[in-house]
Amino acid sequence: MTTPVLAAEGLHKSYRLGRTEIPVLKGVDLQVLPGEMVALLGMSGAGKSTLLHLLGLLDVPTGGAVRYDGAATTGLSAAARARLRHRHVGFVFQFYHLIPELTALQNVLLGKMMHRSVLQYLGERRQVKQQAIDLLTQVGLAQRLRHRPAELSGGERQRVAIARALMTAPRVILADEPTGNLDSATAEGVIELLFQINQERGIAFVIVTHNEDIAARCHRTVRLRDGRVVN
Amino acid sequence: MYRLFLALRYLLTRPINILGMLGVTLGVWALIVVVSIFSGFIAVVTEHIRSAGADLSLLARDGADSPFERERPAQPLDEHKLRELLEADPDVAGTAPRLVHFGLVHRRGHRPPPPPLLGRSALQGGDVPFLFVLGIDPAREATATGFRSWLQVRDPALAVADPDDPLRRIDDLPTMLLGEERMRAEGLKPGDKVVLTTGRVAAGNVAATAIEPLHVEFAVAGAYRTRHGGFDGNNLLVDLVTLGKLLRPDQAHPVQELSIRLHPGADLTAARNRIAELARQAAGTRPGETGPVVRTWRERNQSLLQSVEHQRALMKIVLIVIMVVAAFLMYATLSMMVAEKTGDIGILTAMGGSAFGIMQVFLSCGVAITLAGVLLGTVTGCLSAIYLEEFRQFVLGLTGVDLFPLKVYNLDRVPHELDPVWIAQVAAMAMLIGALVSALPALRAARHDPLVSLRGA
Repeated sequence: MTTPVLAAEGLHKSYRLGRTEIPVLKGVDLQVLPGEMVALLGMSGAGKSTLLHLLGLLDVPTGGAVRYDGAATTGLSAAARARLRHRHVGFVFQFYHLIPELTALQNVLLGKMMHRSVLQYLGERRQVKQQAIDLLTQVGLAQRLRHRPAELSGGERQRVAIARALMTAPRVILADEPTGNLDSATAEGVIELLFQINQERGIAFVIVTHNEDIAARCHRTVRLRDGRVVN
Repeated sequence: MYRLFLALRYLLTRPINILGMLGVTLGVWALIVVVSIFSGFIAVVTEHIRSAGADLSLLARDGADSPFERERPAQPLDEHKLRELLEADPDVAGTAPRLVHFGLVHRRGHRPPPPPLLGRSALQGGDVPFLFVLGIDPAREATATGFRSWLQVRDPALAVADPDDPLRRIDDLPTMLLGEERMRAEGLKPGDKVVLTTGRVAAGNVAATAIEPLHVEFAVAGAYRTRHGGFDGNNLLVDLVTLGKLLRPDQAHPVQELSIRLHPGADLTAARNRIAELARQAAGTRPGETGPVVRTWRERNQSLLQSVEHQRALMKIVLIVIMVVAAFLMYATLSMMVAEKTGDIGILTAMGGSAFGIMQVFLSCGVAITLAGVLLGTVTGCLSAIYLEEFRQFVLGLTGVDLFPLKVYNLDRVPHELDPVWIAQVAAMAMLIGALVSALPALRAARHDPLVSLRGA
């Protein structure tokens, strides 16, 4: 049996608002196999983004566990979670979250700078830079390497964000409404790119979306309602 | 690597950082320039004071040089006996007796002006007619102080006619030497007649309670000039024997003070203690009794030197407040940066950045801004201190405004003394303050919830 690259086991998450405890996730189970594209659907407030953050180790569940390649992540220190996140997961967000002071190339390179000393990075600078250029070329931005986010369109920014996520060769990419801020034509191009990457690189995807068409193209759809998986 | 890279990008792409850096620069600059001017001023004042006195002064008793204590006259020193003892001391190069009195000087026929309020005396003393009258023996004075060089004044028209006998009588009148600036200010020239109005203890009044007025006509022999404007403005020099006869006709050698010059390299404190013991033995002073005392030149001018030192210390405190203001500016700059960069904090965390790493990004920015400010402040501070005189002359030539009126302090140029220890202390203090105030926003950045940034637009 294939080990899931990412698994959630009975995930619970609740937030406290004063003395009131508000449950957001109520025992979510999810498995993402290598190379699988999973669409996460649900109404606003269903807990999609919260689940994505828990899967990406950006937040700690109130109950249950998240496993990466079968290994539990429960009880890890913040630093260990950060290292694991860096190695295992890539993120693509609705609002791109590029660093405005950096060019497209520098934004992509930033991923490789994480968890490397200055000397380590300088030692492999040429290869890393070429890798970043190749990725930006693959996402169709070969002519926009030196442009800053403010000089790029929404679609181009999202492509830079995708290239950045790919830079660390993650096992899985968590995409939170990656087309939610784009017009339909641009969104179509971005989705095409995600599917192309999935096919070429075998990277698994968890895509949060409201778009049923996108969900239909994925290998599997998971629906969340009131903090529970309903299908 | 990303910490250094991002810190560098944040620094280079945000012009507001220059404001934080300039705040630190200004604080460091002010601390270096103002304190170096004060230090230079203290060094110059010390040198000036040194030029106007002997190494040691043997006084008839403690407080004998105070106008208040003078109401209770000290037993005059046995100058001959002391001279013999002192000249046997290996450290003593010369001694000179002095009689110290006070009086008002005015032109003949003019009413003497009222004495000034107690404690009021300009640094140069040029605005008060109240003077200390020092009775000196010119030949002996030259062996104990720089008296010969004092006679070399700037204006040859005010110089004494015969430096070898500067207090020679003129028109059968006793003569006096006045400070050059005072002579110029009062329009006096050698040969002018003036009246010294003073008082003396009435003959036979042992308790010294009855003072009788004394008006004596003098001729001005010429001017003297030490480098200590305060001394020149407040003292006139007359012949010791002449003054002694005027004040104490019943005493052959009334001496209140003995100026002592030591050989170069002599230990001032050790010599002071040894000579004080000698003098007390010579006077037959028993333990617990008031007797002759010896003071070093520094002790005699302690109040002036301490006053300037105190002003320097006060100025340091004021300037450190500027550093505190600069620190607030740094804090504001870094806080703004953190507030603007909360979005970046979210994505950096998502990419695998740790809270500690994010703190380092912002702390590095703060430390780099502080370091740049400290370096710029130190370099400009040192250059400003060194070239302040040239700058003063430039401004004076351009606008006519004198930023630092040298004449008031009897200076040739704006003084400065760069103390490497102080500069290092300022730089270290600025770095410490910069790091501390940077740490607060950096910690806030590290504790920022990345999910808040990632959820927002």
